Amino acid sequence: MTTTSPQAPDRAIAKALERWLRARARAVRAPLTGAVLAGAAAAVLLIGQAWLLARIIDAVVIHHLGLGQILPLVPPLLGVIVARALVAGLVPLAAFAAAARIRRDLRHALQTHITALGPAWVGTRRSGDLANTLVDGVDELEKYYADYLPQRSLMALIPLAMLAAVVPSDWVSALILCLTAPLIPFFMILIGKGTEALNQRQWRSLARMSAHVFDAIEGLTTLKLFNASRQEAATVARISEAYRSRTMKVLRVAFLSSLVLEFLTTLAIALVAVFIGFRLYYGQMQFLPGFFVLLLAPEFFRPLRDMGNHYHARMAAIGAAERIVDCLETPPPETTGTAPLPKVTRITFDRVGFLHEAGGQGVREVSFTLNRGECLALAGPTGAGKTTLAQLTLGFLVPQSGALRIDGADLATCAPDAWLRHVAWVPQAPTLFHGTIAENIRLGWPDAPPDAVEAAARAAAAHDFIVALPEGYQTRLGDGGEGLSGGERRRIALARALLKPADVLVLDEPTAALDPLTAARVIATIRDRARRQAVLLITHDPAAMRAADRILHLDRGRLVAPPTAGEAA
Amino acid sequence: MKDLRRLLALYRPYRAWIALGIALSTATALSNVALLALSGWFIASMALAGLGTQLFNFFTPAAAIRGLAILRSLARYLERLVTHDATLRLLSELRIWFYERLEPLAPAGLRIHRRGDLLSRMRADIDSLDNFYLRILAPSASAALSLMLLTGFLATFSLPIAAVTAAGLLIAGVGLPLLMLGLGRRAGGQAVALRGALRAAVTDGTRGAAELRAFGATPRQTARIDALSDRLIDRQRHLARLKGVSVTLSTLTAPLAMVAALLLAIPMVGRGDLSPPDTAMIALFVLAAFEAIATLPPAFQALGETLAAARRIFEIADTPAPVADPSAPEPTPTRHDIRAKGLCLRYRPQNALALDHLSLHLQQGEVLALKGLTGAGKTSIFNAILRFHDYQSGSLQIGSTEVSALSGAQIRGLCAVVDQHGHLFNTTIRDNLRLARPEADDAALRRALEDAALWEEVRAFPRGLDTFVGEAGARLSGGQARRLIVARALLKDAPILLLDEPTENLDAASEDRVIAALRRLVAGRTVLLISHRPRTLALADRVLTIDKGRVAAPSPKDRGARLARA
Repeated sequence: MTTTSPQAPDRAIAKALERWLRARARAVRAPLTGAVLAGAAAAVLLIGQAWLLARIIDAVVIHHLGLGQILPLVPPLLGVIVARALVAGLVPLAAFAAAARIRRDLRHALQTHITALGPAWVGTRRSGDLANTLVDGVDELEKYYADYLPQRSLMALIPLAMLAAVVPSDWVSALILCLTAPLIPFFMILIGKGTEALNQRQWRSLARMSAHVFDAIEGLTTLKLFNASRQEAATVARISEAYRSRTMKVLRVAFLSSLVLEFLTTLAIALVAVFIGFRLYYGQMQFLPGFFVLLLAPEFFRPLRDMGNHYHARMAAIGAAERIVDCLETPPPETTGTAPLPKVTRITFDRVGFLHEAGGQGVREVSFTLNRGECLALAGPTGAGKTTLAQLTLGFLVPQSGALRIDGADLATCAPDAWLRHVAWVPQAPTLFHGTIAENIRLGWPDAPPDAVEAAARAAAAHDFIVALPEGYQTRLGDGGEGLSGGERRRIALARALLKPADVLVLDEPTAALDPLTAARVIATIRDRARRQAVLLITHDPAAMRAADRILHLDRGRLVAPPTAGEAA
Repeated sequence: MKDLRRLLALYRPYRAWIALGIALSTATALSNVALLALSGWFIASMALAGLGTQLFNFFTPAAAIRGLAILRSLARYLERLVTHDATLRLLSELRIWFYERLEPLAPAGLRIHRRGDLLSRMRADIDSLDNFYLRILAPSASAALSLMLLTGFLATFSLPIAAVTAAGLLIAGVGLPLLMLGLGRRAGGQAVALRGALRAAVTDGTRGAAELRAFGATPRQTARIDALSDRLIDRQRHLARLKGVSVTLSTLTAPLAMVAALLLAIPMVGRGDLSPPDTAMIALFVLAAFEAIATLPPAFQALGETLAAARRIFEIADTPAPVADPSAPEPTPTRHDIRAKGLCLRYRPQNALALDHLSLHLQQGEVLALKGLTGAGKTSIFNAILRFHDYQSGSLQIGSTEVSALSGAQIRGLCAVVDQHGHLFNTTIRDNLRLARPEADDAALRRALEDAALWEEVRAFPRGLDTFVGEAGARLSGGQARRLIVARALLKDAPILLLDEPTENLDAASEDRVIAALRRLVAGRTVLLISHRPRTLALADRVLTIDKGRVAAPSPKDRGARLARA
């Protein structure tokens, strides 16, 4: 066969992912080994327990001994029982320690990497997906490291130990066990492979379902306005039902592997019992070894049977690892700059060009200079490239041609965070974080004294509405600032930018959604700040434009002459 | 306990599935015990027969052993299929039930709950409720059944042995799990809460990635997430320790019960009350009986976390709807003038009045603009009209029908809204538009987009109407997103229009186009318009200023504008 089946690449990926998962385990070899050793010790103690029990039964059944003659066997039996219980209790502890360290490190690595990938990359992702990967995806690995990996080693060790005990007692039973055992992994692999692809699809559908429900809840108000929120319940039902039938498809196959396993192992135990019985009947065997072997036969298969349960943990982990690796292996944008930036007095755009891949929108050949102590307004229609210019100024986008110079130094040679330290910014759609209003304003200066916070809020015309709230500055904000109006959110974001000690202030539509009176107060603040800071003001509010020392007009990515019609009217 | 009962009540429609799963689970457990015990009895009997001390017909037990092996495997397979299918059905049922509880709460009742946290609740909490049937209800019911049947069987041989075994099984199956439940409840609840907080923090960090970076707050957010992750793992570690203890104790119970049963059985053999093969059988029977309840300790350990999740689900579901629809709504008004008289609205008892004896009258077909400071109460008028929030006193009428006598759906069928909170769904432009009119064809969509001055841009997208707009419309510019929302309202074609800053964030050229579109739209409709922008205000027949929740005296300028239009 020259063509590969469609699942082939998936399997190759799954294999690579499992190698990746294994590689993580190297860092926690000690606790993992501990878990395996404890499990093996418990198995050895179990053999002792079975031997002592078989001797007691043998004494009663065959030798007709009374209680008094049997009593000496009881204390050793009790000792073995207690020792085994103690050792068995250690397994989950050691296994958890291993998995915990891996999960903790991975979550940190993911968070750090997402940070390094930067806002531009994060913007292309559904935030529900990222939260899924970081919270649930990482937790999916718990069972892989805590259950699957130790169990994999025990699956080889325990049957060997049982076999070593069975062989001297009864080689026929040992043969039955030996012949059945290899069939089990064979069937597990055979059936497991088909399930793997299904499982990965299932993880993806779970993520899609989560994102859809998230979107529906977020837009509940809008759905309601269109009287579509009730129908959405039907959509949720449809998606859940699709999820159920997909999952059941996976499980029907997955459980089939268990069925084969159960059947093989149970049948083997039955065969061992029947064969022993007949040999006893014909006097070819002693009762003591026969009963001893009967006690051990189920234990021989137990780790193999348990493996069936843990096998699904492995597949879930591979599904989760796919998302984790996908994120971790996205290369972060290169930041070569290292030069520090002690202060900023002049920003120069030197024939800067940047075109977005999608629509060919962006900016071309833009040159201007912004000095500290002045306010430069950037006007132009939607889509003219104003926001692109703001992103370039902040360094979130890197010029494809030309350069951005800070006091003559190319921004590309500066350490990115060194530059951002000097910049405060109000984006077009500000984000408010979980926490109090005060914490939100303090974002750029966590230790700011309360009076500085209040001064910033006053300057942003936010103080009055904040103190009118029942809990004032300590009001806890819901998600994205739910409960505040658009204008109120914007003013908190402005206060945040004003509080940050910065040389450069980038304001994207600071007066949007503000009434004229409030807007006037904000504009006065901008005027005041333009004396000390370099202010880049992106706006199409004529009143705000009047606050600027100079106005640049941007149209289709280029600076153009101001329109002749009275824009400032 | 109350949460438990409520959960069970939710499961009632599926009780046949549930019972079938429990029956199969019991059959599996019993056939396993029977297989091992019968094997022990069989080989002991065969040994004695081989020694010539007793006669023995071996055909029946040998066949029974093989039959039990098959029964056990099949019962197990069917049990797993049935219980999992039932679980997924229950999950789906729960999801719909929860969404339907959530729906009446929006928007006023949902403000306190974080969005990221809501997702966590709706998905993770409801998913973790799958523990309840699969890992809690089914195992405990089948274990209880098995326990009675197994000890009943032993009682036919010896009451003391049955009593000892029952005691052992109760300790391992009920006593230990309950102890562990008590010890694990707090940690389980904390783990669920921490997981929600972690998810909210991650969502915050990704949504606000740019600002965190610009304000140098990224390391702090990372530290917060690390700290939450550590605390979550710490709680999970606590639960793992409990698991270790419970493994030790339960590993101890089974062999100890077996030893006790043997010590009771041996003197009975001496007295001739018990045959020697029965002794072998009882030893294996007691050991295997503990496997029938082996699923209980993990089940009870999951109970803490599951009940915490259930409690949180019920907590949201029980939030009283801020607005109750009247039991018998009036017929939908055919006239659409809006009249408010002494209207008072307060969002929460401790808050100031958002609307304070507001009175206004909007003629059918009139365009009334409201202006005033941010927070003056303009948006509250919209909330009252849309029945997003009840008003406390005064009267608000559409036609001559009191708004509170109409259902929310009736009113929202009459109104189209363009506001600051309009949500775009992460799907195509087409699907976003069709929300307003599901049966609209492409020509209708195109007309709406043309009227909203968006068609040229949509046509230029490589995938046109099938362009995905991204999360909350992130792939569109701010102006495009707004105009798409305007287009959606245009498509709805409702008699009453509520416009809340419809031209905010648009440049002058776009604003002109949208105003032209709005002018087409407002013709013949009853319109309330909130705006600060002079050119948008020019749409209005009349302008009122709202101040501190009531209509302020008209300023000379407004009167001038009115005269100028007349």
